[in-house]
Amino acid sequence: MAKAFRASAGIMLAPAVTLIGVFVLLPMLLTIWLSFQDWSTQTPFSEASFVGFGNFNEIFGPTSVGRDFKTALLNTAIYTALSVALILPLSVVFGLLVYQREVAGGTALRTVLFSTYMVPMIAVALVWSKLYSPSEGPLNQLLGLIGVGPQPWLSSPRSALVSIVLLNVWQQVGYFTVLAIAGLTQIPGSLYEAATLDGANGREQFRFITLPLLRRTLLFSAVIAIINAVQVFEPVALITQGGPVGSTNVLTYHVRRVGIERAQGGLGSAMAVMLMLSLIVCVSALFSLVNRKDGE
Amino acid sequence: MSLAWISKLALAAGLVALPATGWAQSVNISYLTHWSPETVALLEAAAKDFSKQNPDVAVTVRAVPFGDLLTTLRSQGGSSDGPTIGGIYDLWLPELAKDKLVAPAPDAVASEVKSAWPAGVVSAASVGGTLYGIPNEIDVYALNYNKELFKAAGIAAPPKTWAEFKDAAAKLTDKDKGQQGFGMINSWAAGVVHPFASLLVSNGGNLVKDGKPALDSPQAGETFALYEDLIKSGASNPAMATADANTTGPFLDNFVSGKTGMIIMANWWESALKTGMGDKFANIATAPIPVGPSGDKPHSISYSWMTVVNAKAGEAEQKAAWQFLAWLNSPKSGKNGASAMSDILMSMGILPSRTSDIEAHKDKLGSEFLSGYVSVLADARPFPVVLGGQEFSESLQQTLEALQYGQVSAKDAQANAQADATSILERAAK
Amino acid sequence: MSASTRSLARKRPSGRKALLATAMLLVAVASAFPLAWMVLSSLKTPAETMQVPPVWIPRTPTLEAYEKVAGVINVGRSMWNSLIIASVTTAGILVTSMMAGYAFAKYSFPGRSLLFSVLIATMFLPPIVTLIPLYRMVGSLGLSASLAGIIVPNLANAFGIFLMRQFIAGVPDDLIDAARMDGASELLILYKIVAPSVAPAIAALALFAFVYHWNSYLWPLTVLQGNADAYPIVISLSRLLSYNRGAVNTGLVMAGATLAVLPPLVLFVFLQRFFVDSIVGSAIKG
Repeated sequence: MAKAFRASAGIMLAPAVTLIGVFVLLPMLLTIWLSFQDWSTQTPFSEASFVGFGNFNEIFGPTSVGRDFKTALLNTAIYTALSVALILPLSVVFGLLVYQREVAGGTALRTVLFSTYMVPMIAVALVWSKLYSPSEGPLNQLLGLIGVGPQPWLSSPRSALVSIVLLNVWQQVGYFTVLAIAGLTQIPGSLYEAATLDGANGREQFRFITLPLLRRTLLFSAVIAIINAVQVFEPVALITQGGPVGSTNVLTYHVRRVGIERAQGGLGSAMAVMLMLSLIVCVSALFSLVNRKDGE
Repeated sequence: MSLAWISKLALAAGLVALPATGWAQSVNISYLTHWSPETVALLEAAAKDFSKQNPDVAVTVRAVPFGDLLTTLRSQGGSSDGPTIGGIYDLWLPELAKDKLVAPAPDAVASEVKSAWPAGVVSAASVGGTLYGIPNEIDVYALNYNKELFKAAGIAAPPKTWAEFKDAAAKLTDKDKGQQGFGMINSWAAGVVHPFASLLVSNGGNLVKDGKPALDSPQAGETFALYEDLIKSGASNPAMATADANTTGPFLDNFVSGKTGMIIMANWWESALKTGMGDKFANIATAPIPVGPSGDKPHSISYSWMTVVNAKAGEAEQKAAWQFLAWLNSPKSGKNGASAMSDILMSMGILPSRTSDIEAHKDKLGSEFLSGYVSVLADARPFPVVLGGQEFSESLQQTLEALQYGQVSAKDAQANAQADATSILERAAK
Repeated sequence: MSASTRSLARKRPSGRKALLATAMLLVAVASAFPLAWMVLSSLKTPAETMQVPPVWIPRTPTLEAYEKVAGVINVGRSMWNSLIIASVTTAGILVTSMMAGYAFAKYSFPGRSLLFSVLIATMFLPPIVTLIPLYRMVGSLGLSASLAGIIVPNLANAFGIFLMRQFIAGVPDDLIDAARMDGASELLILYKIVAPSVAPAIAALALFAFVYHWNSYLWPLTVLQGNADAYPIVISLSRLLSYNRGAVNTGLVMAGATLAVLPPLVLFVFLQRFFVDSIVGSAIKG
């Protein structure tokens, strides 16, 4: 079949490859190129002038440009790590709740959990900003009922980022629960039966059968969760504006502010490149970790 | 007869009372603002009035959230189909002028503005002596306080000096009731920087002097120390004064619900207070900024808004835009000698800046809340309008917030603020 | 797990079952609570939204906030814009993904795996990385401030290609070869033979793309530059927040949020089977 279909392959691939090439790959390369240029976003690309590693020196430098970027990078890392650390275990627990057949209602639970994933992030942000309201919000009221004092939530640099993580977890966990269920359905029931005969209890079965066999699923989940987490924008743009004290200033928000609002296209691009590099490092580390375990 | 010639004649003939001169073709211009839909409706009504007299000019209004306004304006850079007119914050003008995104005002407009507006406002609308915009809104900061809480704390009069201010803040603080003396706003650049700057200029200091940051002065040092004192004594609780992107949030809620004794805020939040407090709004009074140990008398920080014209718009569009703006801001367009613009602003509780408008709205401006603001206008210092001003403001915000949340000492905050400001202004001037 | 739980269930059935049921109920309530709060708040009077401590159930439910939303933003127009953006983008993604997915699944050509890897790698690229130049590019194409500017750059994506390749690979070659013998063109085969065999995956991709582009915020916000006529509902919604500088308008915002949430949620409730199946499919086969 090879030769006859080469022309057809070209035709079939042309639309997608052209579009992705022009609107994803080309701008990605431009971002890399711009990160070595001094360029105002208001001017054509031809106005850019080469500055070597100047932008990178500046975003890692001691001035406010550097401090803000380093804070944003760190905030993004914390936000991502916390999101993944909460979403993955919860998705497995919720997945087990949905998958079990002892108590009816698993499918209904799945529907409720997954429905939050359909809600626009902008609406999530608006609703949660009201839930978190220190005086008029229901969360502090509920905490009061169980004897916990009012929390500052978004009003304190210590809790603001975590508060945004929580709303992200709420929105996303349903999707990852479905992924976990998909992984669970792949585990042969015979393994559990054999383990039961061997006298393994539920906890041991979970630890030695369920968890190891979910590893690939969890890797996939982790990668998607990381990619989703670094894109956080709406809650920051709408509620906190990066504050208080820059504690919720995350990269997507900061790059847009620097690169588009302040029109410092070179600096913004350098920050975007650093984000891309960090992601590559993270994701490949994850893969090699899982692959090494596979090899064991 | 050429179009240019007609409009030149028309402008020379007094700018405003334009006869329905026949345009060679109809002109569509657009006006970009961050105003709320209700206010936009007022502007659209004014535009309709204008089009009645000038049937060949059609004005459409575009509105964006405040947070997107600058981005939207900046992004017109490459295209001529951006909005013809934009309402901008004076701090943004130097960059927009430098990038040649806004057009200088025609001579006739410039001379009218220079004669009809106070000099300070005119200077904020100019860069290097060239006028770029017609000023409209002016905002000024003053001390707002809750009379009921003052009475309960046994304080007879609003504080006049920093000593009295600190004393009042301490007396107004009641941790058990969740009550703070002075609300120190955070998470919103202007809300953080303007009250600080008002206290600074009332202590004889400056943010920027001769184009260079002046945060290393002893006067600035005393102002940073005042903030540190208020925080350390517990008279200001930053978690009670956070703002959100809509410039609402806990800082407003706590003042409205009587949990905050004093706050330094601008006149425009009158409508928010009225909505939030209802009858209790009568408890709120306005006083001048307390004077610091190195200051002579109360000063406030003021900032202004203006309308500018897109330099990339076509010639006919630009002419029509200036013609519309001149009319909109003239005594001919509104009621009783006020401009239509000032009527719109007053509907939001915002002070107009044209001298004749302040006169025309004398009665409304005499209200207990607003008169306190009008009275401090004379000694107000405009917020420095410099290249990099917005970034400077955002970086000072970061430093002040770090101080508010106890992450740095007053001394370090002062040093950081000066160093950051120096590097930002130097880079922007390049 | 099911086997083990079954065996354990025999030992102490009632306690365990009650525990499980309680846990499930708690999770469901926690998950549904924010949206319930949103709807309840949208029905409150302005005074109730500001009450301390908060009111849970509005005493006199009112649709006042919804009427007011209609006065503040053009709901019909925004919904229409969202519909155009989401459906045109989805249609584009379906066409480009099926074509490319078919090529990757059923043709062999030099550089196939390299090209596929490069395309798939873009799936992991956060949009912010390309935002700055893309914003400038779309401006110089004359597409800024328009719906076209939002739609055109999104007409193809790697996830769609990936999903389609996974499912089309499962279509038997015999079926395709038989059609080729009959002289059918490749596009006709894709349309008549392949598409029907992978209909559930197409439905899933359509729903994913539709919901994603209905909800997307960053790119439209950046492209539209304040052209309110082209605002999708999610951007109009953010405008409700700044509807009156400094004014508190919780009910209004909640009513707007409820309106924006409804279309994707309704779609989901009716078509969730496809969503779930495709996630399961892509995860396992991936």
